[in-house]
Amino acid sequence: MANQVQKLSYVDAKLGVGLPGQQTTRVIYDSINATAGQGFYEFFTNFAGKTEFQTNLTTNKLDSAESMVIKSIQLIGFFAGSPTPASLSDHLNLNITVGNQVVLKDFDPSFNGSNRGFSFDRLHSGYNNADNLEVRLLTDIVIPPQVNFKATLQIASGANVVLNDDITIVLKGYGRIFSAGASF
Amino acid sequence: MGMSAQDKMLHVANRLGLTTLKDMQGTTRMVYDSQTTAALTHTFFKGASQRAFPLTNVGANGNQFQVDEALLVEKIAFFLPSDATGISYGGLSNVSVKFDLVIGNKTVIKDATIEFGGEQAFWNDGTAGSCVLDLEGVGILIPPQVEYYVVAKTYDCFTRAAVSVRLGCYLFGTGALLNFNTTI
Repeated sequence: MANQVQKLSYVDAKLGVGLPGQQTTRVIYDSINATAGQGFYEFFTNFAGKTEFQTNLTTNKLDSAESMVIKSIQLIGFFAGSPTPASLSDHLNLNITVGNQVVLKDFDPSFNGSNRGFSFDRLHSGYNNADNLEVRLLTDIVIPPQVNFKATLQIASGANVVLNDDITIVLKGYGRIFSAGASF
Repeated sequence: MGMSAQDKMLHVANRLGLTTLKDMQGTTRMVYDSQTTAALTHTFFKGASQRAFPLTNVGANGNQFQVDEALLVEKIAFFLPSDATGISYGGLSNVSVKFDLVIGNKTVIKDATIEFGGEQAFWNDGTAGSCVLDLEGVGILIPPQVEYYVVAKTYDCFTRAAVSVRLGCYLFGTGALLNFNTTI
């Protein structure tokens, strides 16, 4: 079975990306400041007016010589509703689309929220937090250069979301960034 | 060296004559279903197309995957919905589960139990008892367009008496998503 380095090279080569690039660990994130009652969120599609701590991208694609493998997905929520705030440990429905293709479909990461005893991944199960969870994927999913991607999230407790609640998605994994390999 | 999850999926698919599964999008996949009416016996996924998020994530296809989609079940877990809405849920809390997994007309897991607090030899989840069964070997494949369901009975883990509870179940593992490798 190919490891993530081999898979990234394979997919990039199939897509005609020739430059070797600098190997790296890549982390990309986007956050959405919610409106009251918002139950559906679309990440990596709107970057207008966001600070560098709300997103580290300016467009919903990686640069021409950059690519990455998604190895883990983290969701971070800030919920201030009272008396019952929304929660990322209630059911969720997460989809990730790369190009026109759904690569993660109807996934419910909430089972990794809190230490309730049914996490997918024991590496992350000991962290007892209902609003900060991470799931390690079993498969390597590649985001190639210059291909649009987005993530959509539906949260079951959306009715408890109040204005200025915040949800952040973080995609982490092995990646490549541009390396000219020569002086300009 | 043991067989990988991808190897097993392709091996089974090949034996079933599913020659195009190898070209599909690899993913990490989970399906869940929950029943919020307390009962002694629950049948999950059968009829799930009649239920909506957050009770289930199987969608209109119900208890079978569409063409060229599959799931290699690597973990099975049960949870207790908190109320009739199914939005929130918790661990098994002194409830154990005895269950069968049926794929097609074949029982592939028979009279297995998830004893509350079991798997402690492996579990690293703080003070929470495990509600997850890790399948031995590589896992069990649910092929495309084959019906699957889980029948579960619940009992008090101490007294061994049957108990009537709300219950939910998830199946987690390596998956395949439909990917048209040609324009249509």
